[in-house]
Amino acid sequence: MRCPFSSPCLLGLIEKECAVQEHVLELNRVSKHYGKFTAVDDISFAIPTGSIYGFLGPNGAGKTTTIRMILDILKPDTGSISILGESCALNVRHRIGYLPEEKGLYKKMRVWAIISYFATLKGMDKKTAKARAFELLERYGLKDYAEAKVESLSKGMGQKVQVLSAVAHRPELVILDEPFSGLDPVNQEVLEQLIQDMAKDGQTVIFSTHIMQHAERLCDRMLLIAKGQKIFDGTLADAHAIIPRRVTLECQGDISAVMKSADVLGAIERFPDIPSRAFGSRHWELQIKEQADPQQILQCCFENNIALTRFDYTQPSLHDVFVHLVGSEAREHSLR
Amino acid sequence: MRMMRLIAMREYAENVKTKGFWAGILLFPLILVGVFFFQTMLAESTPTRHYLLIDQSGQYGEAVDAAIRQEQQRRILQAFVDYVLENRLAANPEQTPARANSQIDQFIDDVGVDEVAGLDQWLESGGLDFALTMATPYLREDAPAFVSPREQFVLAPLPEGVNPDGDPEQIIEQLRPWLTGERALTVDGQSSNLFALILIPAQVNGAIVRPGAAALSANTTNNGIQYWASNLTDTRLPNAIERSINNTIRSNEFVSRGVDVQVVRNVQRTRMPLSRLDPRKAEGQEAVSVADTFRQWAPVGFVYLMFISLMQSVQYLLSNTIEEKSNRIIEVLLASVTPLELMMGKLFGIGLSGITTILAWLLSFFLFIALYPGTETELISQFFNVLLSSDLIPYFIFYFLAGYALYAGIFLAIGSLCNTLKEAQSLMMPMMMILIVPLVTMTFIAQDPNGPVARIMSWIPLFTPFTMMNRAAAEPPMIDVIGTTIVLLLTIALVLWLSGKIFRQGVLRTGQPPRIVEVLRMLGHKH
Repeated sequence: MRCPFSSPCLLGLIEKECAVQEHVLELNRVSKHYGKFTAVDDISFAIPTGSIYGFLGPNGAGKTTTIRMILDILKPDTGSISILGESCALNVRHRIGYLPEEKGLYKKMRVWAIISYFATLKGMDKKTAKARAFELLERYGLKDYAEAKVESLSKGMGQKVQVLSAVAHRPELVILDEPFSGLDPVNQEVLEQLIQDMAKDGQTVIFSTHIMQHAERLCDRMLLIAKGQKIFDGTLADAHAIIPRRVTLECQGDISAVMKSADVLGAIERFPDIPSRAFGSRHWELQIKEQADPQQILQCCFENNIALTRFDYTQPSLHDVFVHLVGSEAREHSLR
Repeated sequence: MRMMRLIAMREYAENVKTKGFWAGILLFPLILVGVFFFQTMLAESTPTRHYLLIDQSGQYGEAVDAAIRQEQQRRILQAFVDYVLENRLAANPEQTPARANSQIDQFIDDVGVDEVAGLDQWLESGGLDFALTMATPYLREDAPAFVSPREQFVLAPLPEGVNPDGDPEQIIEQLRPWLTGERALTVDGQSSNLFALILIPAQVNGAIVRPGAAALSANTTNNGIQYWASNLTDTRLPNAIERSINNTIRSNEFVSRGVDVQVVRNVQRTRMPLSRLDPRKAEGQEAVSVADTFRQWAPVGFVYLMFISLMQSVQYLLSNTIEEKSNRIIEVLLASVTPLELMMGKLFGIGLSGITTILAWLLSFFLFIALYPGTETELISQFFNVLLSSDLIPYFIFYFLAGYALYAGIFLAIGSLCNTLKEAQSLMMPMMMILIVPLVTMTFIAQDPNGPVARIMSWIPLFTPFTMMNRAAAEPPMIDVIGTTIVLLLTIALVLWLSGKIFRQGVLRTGQPPRIVEVLRMLGHKH
């Protein structure tokens, strides 16, 4: 674990504090109700210092409510929150950076001024804040817009500015609510870079998203919630382990020989949308054991003279995990 | 504290950058300058009016001439009084008629009290030449020479082909194109419209109306002297003619009844002065001066100023809060500062810009007076001296700040409950109605500053700042001053506390503005 302070005289004291603070954030059985509606239902989790933590869940799962409670904008009905060693985010709010889900900035202000204003609200002095604003704008490709007014920016650029204004004061904990929505692929990459830069500097980043690719590329750990309940909390590898790995086969004839292999857990036959195009070949999806070696299965096919037209070994994506875990519920929710 | 200052400074800086702020600041001086320059310009730019006089009776032409001469003298007199006021040595605003000791003051006062008598005196004593000789010792050395206003009503020659002795109806028919502006006169080589035709028919004496006898003429519309003009608003000429001709008829009448005209004139100029005295003043200084009257009415101006400035600030506060809410900037802010810091920062920032506006107005007022000396501004500078010397300014500052804190608290709470200005309109309506009341009762309270209505309104906290300001010059009873101040301050504390509660919960609300019950629940909420 890396300590954000470097002054030698403080080091001893701080190290002690850092050692205590293994988790930047801890939620313990937190719930929030709006009237009869339960937005967050008995959620507990802890975020280790210096990690990139993904906050996943379908629309309306309770991500934003949870984030607002973490920031002490909303009070939880029950449960406790410990953030940066404090029970109340207000006491450590200068060490937190926050990007809300709905993006908005003062339209009439200049780009650099708004970044430096939010940084000063977080306790930076004016001069440093201004220098920092220009530094960030240059580093993330917005140098030419530093003097422009916010209202003249496109939506995506405005969002980038807002991300910068949320992190300008070098917070120890950065909370980004849906930072990728509305950004083009190039700027999504810039933002991923920014998140990785911050993690490299020892800052802890929490971001919520419902686009799994970002989480897959960035996150050390992730939390999946749906309908206000925690469904999954763990590392990327843990998540992948939830869905058995799969092998896709396309062949003429029977695969019962392969099915007998100890590594194969089961098989589903998929039928093509247009049967005439299949030319008599059949399409199988095999679920295999976690430790199984796909080579063995390929070997097995050769040994049993199965004429393969396709052999695919794919690791299940986080997307699959997500759909697997909340798919039916989320679909039901959106149709309601 | 630091956060509050940062927010206040941003609010102030952003507000100062808006067009609305500058419009507010510049509008007042522009109107001020506009009114005065426009008036002067109008007075100077009124074109020469050409009139025609056809006197078939041969009796009254002279009277009409005299009337027009007199009208011109009246304008010279007025211009001269203005000139003297503008250029005389060290004018003393506290000067009252009773203490007037110089001839020139006497003269100005005479004109002020009774213009007709003053004019008679002016003509009698030799008009402008005499007045200039008399006034010179009292004028500043660098005073410019007096320039008489040019003649405004000039007799035009009769257009060719019109017979002045013909039938009146025929004359009117012939001259109609000129009177309606279809044709223009040529006077001294320049084209000009005919302003008026004064037609005195031969048998005009038959139309004279005497008490007790009904007029005999059947035709009542163009009875007596006929004044034809398509300009219906400039009535100076017909009034002057009517007055002059009536004077002529009356003196003829006096002569025919054997009364000495000079005696009559002297009787008419006899008058009894009326001194307005103020019992609250020291002996020997009871006389009510112009400045005193101003002092009584000044609070009305302040109430108005307060109203305009409050409306501006409070509206800005409201729209600004709604902007932050609808943009969800509020969420970022609340992750950085407490709701109370945010609210108070806004309150101070916008309040500061309100004060800036007022200061800018007062400053432009000062500059205007300093740069544009004139008769009208002479009065205003008297007004100003009164303001600076009295305790109205401290009253104003206190009540402005108090009123601002009170209403800003309420409007902030309203703003925090709404997502759009449209939603806010309906919640604002009742507040607007309440704010209008002090404006409506403003004049009434100034006339009866310690009456029951004024006293009752003073004790209603929402009206206290306005009403007490309104009464400030009338030395309201101590119990009213202290009592209402205590009630007001307590109310402000309560309003800010409650609106803080609403603000805290309201700013994060989305969707429809809450119902009354929900607002009440918010008030009872413990954070």
